[in-house]
Amino acid sequence: MPGKTTVTLEGDRELAMSRVFDAPRELVFKAWTDPEALMRWWGPRTWPTKVCTIDLRPGGAWHYCMVGPEGEESWGRGEYTEILPPERLVYIDTFSNAAGEATSEAIVITLEFKDQGSQTLLVSRSLFESAQHRDTVMAMGMEEGMTETLDRLDEYLAA
Amino acid sequence: MSIDQLSSIFAALADPTRRAILLRLAEGEASVTELAAPFEMSLPAVSKHLKVLEKAGLITRGREAQWRPCRLEAEPLREATDWLEIYRQFWDDRFERLDDYLRDLQNKENNDAR
Repeated sequence: MPGKTTVTLEGDRELAMSRVFDAPRELVFKAWTDPEALMRWWGPRTWPTKVCTIDLRPGGAWHYCMVGPEGEESWGRGEYTEILPPERLVYIDTFSNAAGEATSEAIVITLEFKDQGSQTLLVSRSLFESAQHRDTVMAMGMEEGMTETLDRLDEYLAA
Repeated sequence: MSIDQLSSIFAALADPTRRAILLRLAEGEASVTELAAPFEMSLPAVSKHLKVLEKAGLITRGREAQWRPCRLEAEPLREATDWLEIYRQFWDDRFERLDDYLRDLQNKENNDAR
């Protein structure tokens, strides 16, 4: 069954997430590597991805911008180090500026797309620079997650 | 809870022996000797693990008796778990969007094939 994301902490500076998607892995891999696709789903609902360019080769990068409710821009960049369609994708993830220069510490993201017939098990591993870095990023995710949850509540109450 | 506190809790939980000790303490307080029994480990090695857990605020040690019983402190553990859960929820929401996208894409392909 597709659905629930699991998150586990591994060692001091790694975090693993996994989730099953109801689609063959070629499609899931494409959803991570095609700019049109990423613009359809990447980012929180309230921060849609408005710009996305991809240079899919080792040393190449994807560079994107998510835009918030007040028009705030959040740029990110992922530099590819390993590309093995449709099985594996490794990139170095950072916040960036509009010019594509990194503005934060780096996280090495390893995505594995495991074939389960008509479904795909996605395993995403994030390797942080330090334990402190991991826990700070998680805390940021918490803040964003909280905001999103409260936004949803607003929507619900307004309906 | 501060990032430093959270970091020390996550670091404390990263070790399987320390997780096993916490599970044992969930059943009730215990002495160092009792805690060491299931592991092939010296008392000083177990004491070292207990110090990490104590520093992270996950356990406290009694002062009243010679054997200084260890007790689980549930609240910091719950807070750290909540933290993980909200992070999980954040990504679950994002992956839900990917789910929707993949569904649309496959529906479209099916329609095109007709």
